[in-house]
Formats: sequence, structure tokens, C-alpha cells
Amino acid sequence: MIIIGERINGMFKDIARAIKERDPRPIQEWARKQEANGAHYLDINVGPGSPDPVGAMQWLVEVTQEVSELPLCLDSTKYDAIEAALKICKHPAMINSVPAVQAKMERVFAMAAQYNAEVIGLAMSEEGIPKDADARVALAAELVANAMAFDLPPDRLFIDPLVLPCNVAQDHGPEVLRTLREVKLISDPPPKTVVGLSNVSQGTKNRELINRTFAVMAMANGLDAAIVDACDDELMAAVATARILLNMDIYCDSYIDVFKKSNRL
Amino acid sequence: MAVEILKEKYRSKVGQVVLGATAAEGGTRSHTITVGGESALPFLHFEGEIPNRPVVALEVWDMAPEEWNPCFKKYYGDVFDDPGAWAKKCVEQYGADLILLRLVSADPDLKDSSPEECAAAVKKVLAAVGVPLIVLGCGKAEKDAAIFPVVAEAAAGENLLLGVAELENYKAITSACMAHKHNLIAQSPIDINICKQLNILIAEMSTALVDRIVIDPTIAALGYGIEYSYSIMERARNGALQGDRMLAMPMIGNVGFEVWRTKEANISAEEEPGWGDQEERGVLWEATTAAAYLQAGMNILVMRHPRAVELVKKNIDDLMCDNSY
Amino acid sequence: MGLTGLEIYKHLPKTNCKECGSPTCLAFAMALASGKASLEACPYVSDEAKAALDSAAAPPIKLVKVGAGDHVIELGDETELFRHDKRFFHPPGIAVLISDSGDVAAEAAAFDSLEFNRVGLHYVTDMIAVRCDSGNADTFKAAAEAVAGKTAKALILIAEDPAIMEAALSAVAERKPLLYAATNDNYEKMVELAKAKGCPLAVRGSDLHDTATLADKIVALGHKELVLDSGARETSRVLADLTQIRRLAVRKKFRSFGYPAMAFTTKEDPQEELLQAVVYVSKYAGIVVLKASARQQLLPLLSWRQNLYTDPQKPIQVEPKLYDVGEPTADSPVYCTTNFSLTYFIVQGEVEASRIPGRILSVDTGGVSVLTAYADNKFTAETIAAAMKKADLDNLVSHRKIVIPGYVAVLKGALEEESGWEVIVGPREASGIPKFAKEHFA
Repeated sequence: MIIIGERINGMFKDIARAIKERDPRPIQEWARKQEANGAHYLDINVGPGSPDPVGAMQWLVEVTQEVSELPLCLDSTKYDAIEAALKICKHPAMINSVPAVQAKMERVFAMAAQYNAEVIGLAMSEEGIPKDADARVALAAELVANAMAFDLPPDRLFIDPLVLPCNVAQDHGPEVLRTLREVKLISDPPPKTVVGLSNVSQGTKNRELINRTFAVMAMANGLDAAIVDACDDELMAAVATARILLNMDIYCDSYIDVFKKSNRL
Repeated sequence: MAVEILKEKYRSKVGQVVLGATAAEGGTRSHTITVGGESALPFLHFEGEIPNRPVVALEVWDMAPEEWNPCFKKYYGDVFDDPGAWAKKCVEQYGADLILLRLVSADPDLKDSSPEECAAAVKKVLAAVGVPLIVLGCGKAEKDAAIFPVVAEAAAGENLLLGVAELENYKAITSACMAHKHNLIAQSPIDINICKQLNILIAEMSTALVDRIVIDPTIAALGYGIEYSYSIMERARNGALQGDRMLAMPMIGNVGFEVWRTKEANISAEEEPGWGDQEERGVLWEATTAAAYLQAGMNILVMRHPRAVELVKKNIDDLMCDNSY
Repeated sequence: MGLTGLEIYKHLPKTNCKECGSPTCLAFAMALASGKASLEACPYVSDEAKAALDSAAAPPIKLVKVGAGDHVIELGDETELFRHDKRFFHPPGIAVLISDSGDVAAEAAAFDSLEFNRVGLHYVTDMIAVRCDSGNADTFKAAAEAVAGKTAKALILIAEDPAIMEAALSAVAERKPLLYAATNDNYEKMVELAKAKGCPLAVRGSDLHDTATLADKIVALGHKELVLDSGARETSRVLADLTQIRRLAVRKKFRSFGYPAMAFTTKEDPQEELLQAVVYVSKYAGIVVLKASARQQLLPLLSWRQNLYTDPQKPIQVEPKLYDVGEPTADSPVYCTTNFSLTYFIVQGEVEASRIPGRILSVDTGGVSVLTAYADNKFTAETIAAAMKKADLDNLVSHRKIVIPGYVAVLKGALEEESGWEVIVGPREASGIPKFAKEHFA
């Protein structure tokens, strides 16, 4: 599974301060730490309420790229900020994200085609997040059809079925898992799938246990990528183990180390 | 109708290993040989690069083999006692791309030759031929651990391929290869998990050696479990192309050694009249085994019979023709 | 795999009328793709859409049969690209080619006798291909009749003139031969013949693309018992074409390639020809036609075919019984092992290599190896002793010594008690047998 490290996000106090003071050290430290622990992508998010999202985003990309060769996942609802960042990314990036809303899809897929970027597509419309899997899958199909209209191959699109916290929306859990399976029936090649893992445990006790349990369940249902705390060793070990049990990697005694190093090979 | 050709998109490719060293590179070989490097399944030129053709090594022993089928006498009978002359004949008359020298005489149950005697045999073969050299021990781990440091030092600069490292005893040979800059055969017992783990253990001793490992998955002859090793090789090669770096090494197999132990290669037509002529049958048993393994991705075929070598090299010629669409 | 949601969507009216119960046609397409809805729910669906959905339910490669009676060869119906993903199901037909201008009867009789026994298995060359080189309908017909008279195995008739084909077919139609081949020039008449006689038909295009086009034309004429020949003859090109045909059929359900494929060797030297055939057997041929007919040439090819088409999930077994190695006497050693074929054959090879004749008692462990069988209680003092009794060892040998594998040395005491024989612990690996035998029995 593709690990997208979530830690460079203005939501975290140390990152928010670093952005404000333009202090690259905390950013670069997290970039290194996440990479060393096996992240394949680094999520970049300036956080809520930034006075200058475009400038902040570009700065985050610059300082991150000074210490890491990993591709970036540009996480913003402000497409100008994403576009500014795409212009300076050294490697093809991932755009995080676009909902199944016509005008937004047109803007984002055009941008993705221009910069050879991957896209995270959210299974939601203007009306919000549907509960049942059928409706989520139908939105995913719309995303795929629109992406193809912009010559973006389906396997460059990551469908996010949208995970809700298990203490407030417990009934969404099975629907999300079913969505992960059925999204694969949309096209050939099928779109990839992604979840923002920590959402599932928002506001609960045992957050890490819930995260890694859900990660493993989602993988068994075909999940391809997740935005996660890449420095959670137990989570990374669970993901590596699930890959073995799902026959995705060939077993050897050192498989956890091998998985953590797979991003640098 | 234009058929839409289906090309796999692979994330990675097989590692490339250079064998031998010329004078300019600190050795005495007339040329080097590169194996591996492919970014497609065997001979599917239409979907990737196959930069290096598979090569054939002929097997030479450092003492006259007593138990080889009598049909080998007419090819090697005059040189069985002289590994240098034997190797020379393999290269000059029988088209060997490289030579595999098996230090059989070191076996404590046979001649128990000393490490220095082994090194002398290696030197002799190096002096006789210009092709790169593969050197195997006698197969007894304890004795081999004593041989490798001496052989590796004596042939320093020659960029040999030394074998074999196994899970239970990889350290001595790995150290010898590290110290004197040789390549290494990592052998696992028809087990892909051990194959991968052994590569990791060697990599932990020396990261630089990762690009110098050749995998010996341990092969069986046609009719004796060939399908097990064939499938393991196909899995390893698929894993390599999909990005599993710890399986992304070129592969070697002792085709001749395995085949010429079988009943099918050896039994006379009188004893098995339904099976046809013995020598031709043995040649074709060896060539068929080799040709099957070529389809699973074998990069270095170690063989014995000159005619089988000729056939397999022609098969490789045919398969190396571009088949892009 | 069936059709994807977007592929189905293409066939739907795209009016979002909601009469099917889904909010949009796309949602309905996804419901169809996941099997939750039925096409009948859409009142406006076209016949074309129905046909597309029906054909998606068919297997990726059609099962095609050649021959009649006890000699029907089943080809195709494969689902994998690699045997380790599941298994290969229908071994390719190995066809020996003869000319209608040669000594047909003698060659056919020689072909018919090409059967081999090896390690308890029976191998056969299963097809004979008769090629019209004479250009004469009567000669070809006589040749087909002569071959049919000498062998009951499956036939391939090779002639491109439909009139010549018809002549031969009139004599041997009930044998359901494969007709080779429909081409762009003759396909209408060849299809007529094949349909009239219910025979499978080979399709030969000038390349991969042309073969697909021609196959579609023939299917449109109503014949679906097809075998594909892309027309390629160079080894490397044949490998690529066979790979594409299999991949497109299995991965993409490309209907034009949903049939078994065939390959012809071209080398004059039968030994070189054999290696070409090894390539085609390895990579996806449904039929390989070759000229080589000597026993030592065919045995390796038939062995490779057998090995490749075994089920990787199922350990192959040898019959659990007592086997002789060389010509053992009453004094020769007795070894025991399991009936996992790989284990047995390795032990057999090493006992042979020891040059001391002996006997190997293969104990029924359900085809698993020594340590697995020991762990499962299938290789115990009791099961070994029972096998010894059943093999009548007491009367066959004069000594009372049996060698057990080193890995189960722990069984020594119990087996001695159970059998009354002396138990010698052998080496752990079979490769130690020659030395062990020299020390104990020379």
C-alpha cells in the first residue's frame, strides 16, 4: 500500500509556527522522519486560515524538496495554491483533492493533465457525503468518466470513499469497505483508492488501534493508498504484515524492514 | 482491425551484474560479460529492454570426474586432467561464454586439496582463457569457508563470480567477496522466501554487494521437479519487475549438473528401448531443461554437453530477435 | 472478469429516466457491474447491449475439441498467465507433421506407436497433421484415409484449397479433424465445410491484427470452434504473438482472441526444432506442430508439457509401493521415504547414483514430504511397518535392515519395535545417500 505521510500540515502547531516564521527546520525534520519510516508520498497542507495559502504552499514545497526526493501530495481546497505548487514540484505530484462537482472536476483534471499529476477524487457531491455504498460508487464513476474525458487514465485517479469517525458514524464503516471493493468495477484499469485514515478514529480513545485495524480491513477490501501517520510503527508493521497476508509482497523474515525501505529502492 | 497490444507497465527492472575485469579494470580478462538489466519478462522485447543476452557457462572440474557419462570422453577425455586445457577447449571449440570452475578436489572425502592448491587451479584457468570465470567450492561448507578467502585474494581484481553463499553459511564467502571485490552467488533451496531473506542478510553485511549478487534458486532437471523451480523463478522475476529489489538479481542455474544425474540422460537405449538413443536423449534433456529455464528468466546457464550448448545458444539467438509491434 | 461499469454505461441510453430504480444510468451501470441489478430493469436497453453483456459472461478462452471417440483433445479454456497463480488446465496438443507425398501409412503407423512410460506416467503424442504437398485432391484424400486407418488419434488436415480439403474431409469427417486453415482468401468456403461437418477450424492471418479481423469475420458467419494462428514463424515473434493472444484474452476478455492458439516449428534440424517447441509449450500454445518424430526427441518435450501442466497446489504423488532401483537381489539395501513424487524421485536418483542396486519403499503419505508427513502423523512407525508388510519385504530380502530418512531419526526405536527389523538412520538430505550407501552397503 502507498503510504502518504500526513505530518506536514498546518493543523499541527509546530508546522503552523514554522510556516508563520518561515522556519524550515520542523518541516524538514518531519520530511526526513516520515521518509525514513517508509512513507512513499508526503502530504503538504498549509493548514486552516492561512493568510497567504499560495505563498505558504510554495514555501512548504521548496523546503520539503530540499531534503526529500519523495513525490508530494498537495493538499488544499484552494486550487490556485495547488497550481502554484505544481509549477515547482520536482516529481509528478498528487492533487488532494476534488469532489464530484462538475466545475471543480474540470479545473482539477485539466490541471492534472497539464502537470502530469495524480488526483484524489472524493466520493461526495454538492449534496455532501452519501451514506450508502451504491451512491458513493456512482459518484466515483462520475469522477472516473470525467477524468478520462481529460485523458487522465483511471489508474492516475485515487478515489477516496470518505471515512467518518467511528464514534459518530459507525454505520458508514461497512459502506466504505464495500465502496472500496466496488470502485474496482468502474473501469479497466480500475481507479485506485485512498483513505484519510486518522478520520476514522477522530475523537475516540484507542486512536492508533482503531487506525491500524481499519487500515488492515480496508487493505483486505482493496485499498491502494492511505494518508497516515507514517511514524506510527505499529501501523506500519500492520500494513507490512497485511501485504504479506494478502500475497502482495513475497515473504521473508525481514519483511517489515523491507517494507519500510521500499520507498527508497 | 488494429489490436491494442497489451504491454505491462513495470515499476522496476532486474539488476545488472558485470563479470570479469579487463587489464584496464585491474584484471586480466579479454572482455567482461554483463548479465541482467531486463525491464520485461523473458524475451518480450515489445514491452521493455532486454539489454543483455543470457549466457552459457561450461563446467570444468579441478580433477578428472569419474562419474560423468562415458559419452563425455570424446569431448573432454583428453583434457579431464588439466583444468586449464579443459577450459580452453570449452571456450575455443565449444563456444562457452564463460567458464565455471568447480573445486571438487577440495572435498575432504576426495582429494582434500588445500586452499592454496585451489587458488592455483583458479590461476591456471585464468591463464588459459580470457573469458570471465565463475568459481564454486566443493559444496562442504566448512571446507569452502577456508577456500574462499584464499581464492578470492589470489584472484583479486578479476571480478569473479564466487559461489555459493547459503543461509546457514554466507558470512565467510560474503566477507571474501567484500574484501577482494568479487561477485557472489546466493543459493536458496527452491524457496523464494529464503532466497529473499538471504539477499537481505548479505545486503546487511555490505550494501555494495547488493548489485553483485546472482541468485541461484536451486534448480531441478526436467522431470525431477523442474516446475517447482520454474515457478519460483517466474515469481521472483515478476517480483523484481514490480519493484521487489531483494529479488531483482540475475539468476544462475546448474543445468548440466542436474540433468546428467538423471536416468533419462544416462540410461542406455538397450535398457530403455522405448526412449531412443542415449546421447541424443541426454543432450536434448539438457537443452530442453535449459530452454525451459530461459523462459522463466535464467540469465546464466551452466551446462556440460557441447551439442546442448550449441542448441541453446541458437535458441537464445532466435529469442533475442526484436519482437516489438 | 465481466464488463466494467463504464463499459456497460456505454451501451445504456444515458437518459437518466430513473425507471430502473437507479438515480442515473451510470449508477445503474455500476449496479449491473456488481451484479446487484439485472438488465431487464431497463426498459430501453438495446439488443447490442444485451449481446455485449452476454458475451462477457463467457470464459476468456473457449474450450475447443479436436478428434473423436477415445481420442478427443481438449484445448483452451485457460485462465492464467502464470501457473503459480492457479494452474494451466489443458496441455497443448503435440502434433507430428507428415506429408501426403511421403510413405503415409508407414509414417502414421510409426506415429501411432509413439507412446512413452516414464516415472509411472504414460505420455503420448496426441495429434498427427497431414499436409497436402501434392496439390492433388485424390492424393490428399487417400493420405487422410491411410492415416485414419493407422491411428485413432486426433487429425489435423492441412490444405488451403477448399476443394482439396473437402475431398479429404469426405473420407474422415467423422474423426472431427482440425481443418487448417481458413485464410483471407478461402475463409467463406472453409467455414462452410467446417460448419457442415461440425469440425474445428484453424484461422491463419498475416499477423496478429489480421488474425483478429479474420476470426471476427468467421464468427460472424456462425462458426466458433476456432484455433488461432497469427501466421508468425520466427521463434521470437511467435512467442510475442502467443503471449499477446493469451494476455488479451485473459486480461482484457478480447473476444477475437478467445480461442486456443497454435504454433508451427520451422527448423530443419529436429533438435533445433525441439527447442522452438519448448518455447511454444512454455508460453501459451494450444497446439504445437513439429516434424521431429524420434523417441529421444519427443520424450523431453512431452515430459516438459507434463511437468508444466501439473497442478502447483496439488503435490504429485507416486504410487505407494516398493520400487526397484537397478536389479536388486535379496541382499540389496531397502530405503524408505514418502510418496511425494519430488521426494521419491530425488531419493531414487541418489540411490541410482550410489551404483548399489536397492529397493525404495514409498509409503503413502498423501503425497507430502517427509517432515510434513511426520508432523501430520502420516509417516510413523505404524504406517511404515504396515507398508513393509504390504510390500512383502520379509519374503523379498534376506536381511532385516531398513534405512529411514535422517530427519525422522526419532522413529528408529518405535519402528524397530513395530517391525522387528533393524532400523538404520540414513542421511538427512538425499544427496548424502551415495556416500552413505558406500559406507554401509559396498
